Amino acid sequence: MLEWKLEIRKRLAGSNLKPEREAAILDEVSDHLQDRYDELRVQGATHEEAFRDVIRELDWTDLVSELQPCKEIPPHDPVPEGAPASGRLISDFLMDLRYAARTLRKSPGFTAVVVLTLALGIGANTAVFTVINTLLLNPLPVEKISHLAALNTTQTKKTAQSGDLQDLSFQNLKDLRERTHAFTSLAGHSNPMAVTMIDKAEPHRIFMELVTANYFETLGIRPYLGRFFSPEEDAKPGAAAVTVLGYSAWQSRFGGVSDIVGRTIKLNGTPFTVVGIGPKDFKGLYAVFGPDLWVPSMMAGQVLPSSLQQALTDRATPLFTGIGRFGAGVTVAEAQAEMKIAAAALEDEHPDANQGQSIVVRPLTVAAYGPERQGLMFGAAFLMAIVVLVLLIACSNVANLLLARAAVRRQEIAVRIALGAGRSRLIRQLLTESVLLGLLGGVFGFLFGYAGCRLLSSLRPAEYAQNLADLRIDPAVFGFAFAIAILTGLIFGIVPALRSSRTSVSEVLKEETRTAGRTRGRLNLANALLAGQVSVSLVLLVVAAMFLRSIQHEYTIDPGYQTGHLALFMLYPGQAGYDQTRTEQFYKQARDRVSGVPGIVSISWASNLPLWGRKETGVLIAGQEQRKKSEAISAVVNTIDLDYFSTLDVPFVKGRDFTQDDRDSSAPVAIINDAMAAEFWPNQDALGKRVQLPRGKDFLQIVGIVKTSNYQTLGEPPQSSIYLPLRQHFLDGMILYVRTEQDPSTILASVQSEIHNIDPELAVEDIRTGTKIIDQALWWSKIAVDLLGVFGLVALGLASVGLYGIMAYSVNHRRREIGVRMALGAGQANVWFLVLRQGMTLVLTGLAIGVALALLVGHALSRFLYGVSGSDPLSLGGASLVLLVVALVACYLPARNASRVDPLVALRDA
Amino acid sequence: MAAAVEHEWKKGSAELLILSLLEDQPRHGYEIGRLIAIRSGGTLHFHVASLYPLLYRLEKRGWIEGRWVEKANQRRRRYYRLTTEGGRVLAAKRQKWQEFAGAVGRIAGVEHA
Repeated sequence: MLEWKLEIRKRLAGSNLKPEREAAILDEVSDHLQDRYDELRVQGATHEEAFRDVIRELDWTDLVSELQPCKEIPPHDPVPEGAPASGRLISDFLMDLRYAARTLRKSPGFTAVVVLTLALGIGANTAVFTVINTLLLNPLPVEKISHLAALNTTQTKKTAQSGDLQDLSFQNLKDLRERTHAFTSLAGHSNPMAVTMIDKAEPHRIFMELVTANYFETLGIRPYLGRFFSPEEDAKPGAAAVTVLGYSAWQSRFGGVSDIVGRTIKLNGTPFTVVGIGPKDFKGLYAVFGPDLWVPSMMAGQVLPSSLQQALTDRATPLFTGIGRFGAGVTVAEAQAEMKIAAAALEDEHPDANQGQSIVVRPLTVAAYGPERQGLMFGAAFLMAIVVLVLLIACSNVANLLLARAAVRRQEIAVRIALGAGRSRLIRQLLTESVLLGLLGGVFGFLFGYAGCRLLSSLRPAEYAQNLADLRIDPAVFGFAFAIAILTGLIFGIVPALRSSRTSVSEVLKEETRTAGRTRGRLNLANALLAGQVSVSLVLLVVAAMFLRSIQHEYTIDPGYQTGHLALFMLYPGQAGYDQTRTEQFYKQARDRVSGVPGIVSISWASNLPLWGRKETGVLIAGQEQRKKSEAISAVVNTIDLDYFSTLDVPFVKGRDFTQDDRDSSAPVAIINDAMAAEFWPNQDALGKRVQLPRGKDFLQIVGIVKTSNYQTLGEPPQSSIYLPLRQHFLDGMILYVRTEQDPSTILASVQSEIHNIDPELAVEDIRTGTKIIDQALWWSKIAVDLLGVFGLVALGLASVGLYGIMAYSVNHRRREIGVRMALGAGQANVWFLVLRQGMTLVLTGLAIGVALALLVGHALSRFLYGVSGSDPLSLGGASLVLLVVALVACYLPARNASRVDPLVALRDA
Repeated sequence: MAAAVEHEWKKGSAELLILSLLEDQPRHGYEIGRLIAIRSGGTLHFHVASLYPLLYRLEKRGWIEGRWVEKANQRRRRYYRLTTEGGRVLAAKRQKWQEFAGAVGRIAGVEHA
């Protein structure tokens, strides 16, 4: 093009136009002049003639004054041909999206790192959210859960011991059903209880819930197949042997066969007909652990152990949790008021069974988690907080990467501003890019989250997997992942975008790509982000380390008995239809045959599993004044056979063990632990004293005192315990305790086959070794520690990648400076020191903040730690050391690169 | 004084010409200049120096809107299109012109087509 612009500019002198405006006018008018020139040439004019004519047309005397009122016309961005004038937002957005996709494709390495970083953060959040969504937000697939309430018995005078909620007896539930107006429908269900199921001659242990016929209807759920119970099937005891199978039990136990309805299965020896399959996601009302099948309450006599045979008629036997659906407009408080009056009436009518008791109404959303509710809530909040921190680290990492990249793109952005791109337009473009990155991260994050959930599911103990809640990936989880993807895109994108859009055109276009100056502000922000990352990762690492140490301590807790050489077999001969004589015979027979297996040291029977102690309230002590109900004495009651204490290695403090002579016809006796002796007979000899069990007929004479052990949880405070001789207290189901010489897992199969030889219809499915009992008791803590460890490592990884990135970027920027220093005589060591100092100053700042934060967090968490203080120096020191080492490596690589800078090359390039 | 009136009158008609040319489709400055010359059979001719200030003024008033458009294999050009406001102005100006030309015709005895 000819020098039109020069000519025009001459004539514009003094117009005082803004540079952008002037540039636009120059463009447009010089185009016009060129067109005119071309036309004249085509018509045959010589260059000189055409040029002269064109310039003459530019007789621009009035121009400056003419232009004065037109100075302010806003510049417009170029648009492609055919772009609609209206709906610019959408067309701009599509264009931005295309442009962003192109930009990201151009730097696949950057894109991959960013997407992976975000995917880790989003994946962790998605996985934890799935757990929370399944367990807490949307636990039960029932109709209008807010209209449902759970009813339990409670002690009117609450003390520390008796404040726990208990079940309702069947008789009380029945009366409440007849009297209530607050509930349109009131049903009942028992806890999941173990029964023996025989299908194709193979016995299995499964979990069953007794329910009233209106249970499913009250919940408003529909069967997946077949039907639920009819009222007639729950009218007369033992009348209708029917069962509804849970969906997952149908899938896992029966392979999901289609002809399941109408099939007969044996439960505790009685044939039951399957009439239906429960809804797909329904596993009972206890959100965490559910039954395999449901049986009408009138079948209690057929499926319950002998100790609960009177459950339907005895008003004092707690068995059911009431489930009520509120009538229209009834509130929890109103229902509670009604139940309080009804409970008082029941107390008057049946003082023997109901004295000191009332009924508590709780929304089902609260009741669904059972006693673990608080722990679950806390755990969920804690995990969520941790993954949000991980995500924030990921975001700040990506923000740093974008800041570094913005430096490279300054020229591109300056050019775009020079071409007339507005600031808001530019921010929109940059944000489109970061949101696109966020969405890509979200897609992979969702997949990570899905994989994480699968992994979590596979960590469930195999023997109960189908009874535990399934993690559901539903639209809410999808929406959550999508929302945080967009949100993170905005969070990490906004600061770099704002900064980039402030680029000054003239300065950037003048400078070359690589300059040392003008990066300070950017580095400051990046440094702050990085120090923040270091401190947050330190907190996560310290917390993980503290919990790891805590669980290590828990493993070293001495429960008070040996677990290393112990194998356990749960056997319920009563469920196979044995009567008392045959059961007693079986206990003796099994002892004889199993003790013949090589490698077995001793053997015994007991009713309690280690750490699954059964507590009874209302123990009486002879000679001491009768206590009020509210101050009733509780003790863990365990029925045991001979040699129990030697098999478990529990030492005697005083007195004797049970012997062959402690039988039905002899004087009733008991053994207690030293905790109980110390509490109720301080400074006295407890031997020879007498106690009576709740609902017991006789006083039992104490013949022995053993050392206290852990009955319900590891490391629990000492609690009272009473041991009863099996020969005086018959039970139709017991646990066989076997002490072995070697690793107990080697004899499991031979013991099982010995029992199978006695009776192939007896289920011996639930076999455990002593160490496995401990493992299971610590299962939740272990999962928590694993998760914490994983998240801590992810955080550390992200922070170190971030550190490396920022150091590498900074070294690259300081190449010239480093070159000058080296040219002036700085040695490699000096340069090393320079770079390391810069990086480690940052790390140490972050570390100091992190230690302070970790101390605060540790203090808050100290009550969840066992044997470790909230300021555990080993955890703090160890985590700091790990972080320092990783940070050193992350700084080392850029420092090495810096020390290899060739001064000549660096100076020439710059 | 008389010169000023003529100047204003000329400017008024020039505005009418440009708005009319943009009624059907967006055009760039050079095209507008060319069309005025061709359609008037060479009688009317706009110099660059008067055309562009006029365009900018119309744009400033919001009657037309210019934007840079890229077409394949061409220089990018600034195309002007009539705004809704411009459409209304055009209709009003047309009516005024008709009245004015009619009046002049009746007085001067020139038949108006």
